[in-house]
Amino acid sequence: MPDDGVPLGEGTAATSDMSVRELTELRDLLFGAERRQLDELRRRLDTAELTSDELAEKLPQAIVQRAARDKQLAIALAPTVESAISESVRRNPHEIATAIFPVLGPSIRKAIAETMSGLVNTINRAIEHSFSPQGIRWRIESWRTGVPFAQIVMRHALVYRVEQVFLVHTGTGLLLAHMPDESLGDADLISGMLTAIQDFVNDSFEPKQTGELRAFAAGDLTVLVETGPQAYVAAVVRGQAPETLPLKLQTTLETIHLQWSDPLARFDGDAAAFTTTRPLLEECIETVLATDQRAKRAGFRRFAWVVPVVVIAALALWWGTRGTRRWNAALARLESEPGLVVIRSERRGGQWHLTGLRDPLAANPALLMASRGIDTTDVVARWQPYVSTEPALLLARARRVLAAPVGITFRINGDTLSASGRAPAFWIARAQALAPALAGVGATNFSGVSPGLPGDMERLATDIESQHVLFAAGTDSLDASARAIIATTAKNIQRIIDAASSNRYDISIHVVGRADPSGAETNNLALSRRRATAVRDRLAGLGIAPVRLAVDAVGSNDPLPAATALERARLNRSASFVIQARPSTVPTSAERTQ
Amino acid sequence: MIQKKVCMVGIHGTGKTSLVQRYVHSIFSAKYHSTVGVKIDRKPVTVGNTDVNLLLWDVEGRTADQDIPASYLRGAHAAFFVADGTRRETFEQVADLRELVRSAAGDIPSIVALNKADLKDQWVLTASDRATLIANGFHTLTTSAKSGEGVEDAFRWIATAALSVAST
Repeated sequence: MPDDGVPLGEGTAATSDMSVRELTELRDLLFGAERRQLDELRRRLDTAELTSDELAEKLPQAIVQRAARDKQLAIALAPTVESAISESVRRNPHEIATAIFPVLGPSIRKAIAETMSGLVNTINRAIEHSFSPQGIRWRIESWRTGVPFAQIVMRHALVYRVEQVFLVHTGTGLLLAHMPDESLGDADLISGMLTAIQDFVNDSFEPKQTGELRAFAAGDLTVLVETGPQAYVAAVVRGQAPETLPLKLQTTLETIHLQWSDPLARFDGDAAAFTTTRPLLEECIETVLATDQRAKRAGFRRFAWVVPVVVIAALALWWGTRGTRRWNAALARLESEPGLVVIRSERRGGQWHLTGLRDPLAANPALLMASRGIDTTDVVARWQPYVSTEPALLLARARRVLAAPVGITFRINGDTLSASGRAPAFWIARAQALAPALAGVGATNFSGVSPGLPGDMERLATDIESQHVLFAAGTDSLDASARAIIATTAKNIQRIIDAASSNRYDISIHVVGRADPSGAETNNLALSRRRATAVRDRLAGLGIAPVRLAVDAVGSNDPLPAATALERARLNRSASFVIQARPSTVPTSAERTQ
Repeated sequence: MIQKKVCMVGIHGTGKTSLVQRYVHSIFSAKYHSTVGVKIDRKPVTVGNTDVNLLLWDVEGRTADQDIPASYLRGAHAAFFVADGTRRETFEQVADLRELVRSAAGDIPSIVALNKADLKDQWVLTASDRATLIANGFHTLTTSAKSGEGVEDAFRWIATAALSVAST
């Protein structure tokens, strides 16, 4: 504040300088802040260019505003961005590769998946068309007409295709819009003609009562028409139009009536306003193939390729495992055989290696395998001996260990060994002592064994039962030595019958036929029966009363023991005799006369 | 592109179809006349700076026992009548046909082509006949399908008239 007493407006230079300075001071004090702002504004107006700070402040907002308004910004930036990216890729490809990797990975996967899916689809169609009767028909058609197979497939597989869509002014028949290509040329003429045809039908058939012309067809082309008050839509469809298509056209037409109501009402020949309806019409253009539709109907069609693949794989597997299956069959045969246990089998170095347990009385495993088509020179087998308690082997062992006479029959029930028949008393005592020591035998029952026979009967019975009528392999014919044995035996039989009668015994002679183990058991059983029958008939022919004779056939079961397999086979191609004698309950003729 | 619907009407045998067929773009054969009763052709015309496509509904010629279907005339922007200058009765029926068009499409610009101008020695129409037409609001001109006389003029007049109606 000036308080030095000098009046303002005094005209000296000094005072003038002073007053200017004071005034400036005063102004600063009064308007300092405003002045600085004014100076700043002036400076900005003078420079007219933004500082980088200001630009940084404004740029994001500016970009957002301009991008919202139009595409000029994007257009302007595009070349710069493109060259920046290519420069960046050139300088440091790694950087940009890393940056876009998260985008690129899924995109590539998606692209591959789509390609694969397309490929599978193509294969499916090809297979479907190649393997079906329909496909073969089409191939013939292709060959006959010279049209490529792919076109034939397309022609037949096409369910429908909406090829063209017309939007036509109802009042004048003038074309408003057309898809797919307005430059087609004659769409205006066609739309005029379409209108004329509708008029023609309307006039000719009075559809005022039946409704308007909705569709007309020629060959595989159908024109569907949906009519509105101001315009109608006509769709040219090749193939079988779906039921949903008219509804789609109707919806499109309604939308056009709603959104273009003003241009429709004022239409006077200028269709420019209707170019914007084309995206709507474009939505009606579509192609549907039979393969697409069937895929929707039955999902398994997508897996048509599975069938031939499975068949081929199955054939390959069958072929490749033929040897294995044969081996498995042989193993099953071995395992079903009493006295054989297979522990491990494997294929190694082109050979089968087999480890197992074998009862000494069991059948020869090599023969069993050979019977199943296995080349036994390819088999390395290691059999450990063991004792089987299976009934068949238990019986064989009992007969062998106990040295049972032929008159004794063994049975096994649970772990009880039962014997029946007739044997000398000393044998019975010894067998009863030994039998429980046999593996697998828990108890014995010898109550069915009758001891000895009185007088000459025992000697005669032992003599008869020691005879074997031997046969050549596979036959039941009696040779000279057989006939001689039968003749001798017949005399003894007659003697024992007589002795039994006087000792009051009922007696019967069982002729037991046997066969060696070669061949099927059913055949062996029949053969053994024929052998026994032949011997019985011979005995009857020699005067033995047939009522005393019975025939037993045991085939190769319950074989007679022998030291070697060869001897055993020879001995069992035979018929032998078993005497059954019981004290008689019927009085003798002498008693009856008394 | 502006489009205008023009119906072409005439008595059977006036040479209507042959009058236009050389000057228009056509994709439909003449058999449409006998089947549907109409054949649609296009005639592009330039009026000033405006390109106009005239869609010509060439309606089957009128015969004694078959009238022109009114529905084909509906919505037309202009009418093109054809009379045979050598047959008076065709000329006399123009007024009648005009009524048919009027009832279907209202008062629209109408032209009468007096055709077969090349047959001068058989020509029966007089100057007063033309005056009658003009008095009734028709534009008239003589045409010849053979020489092409008047044909382009007729189309240009129609295009111009149709456009001017639209702009008013």
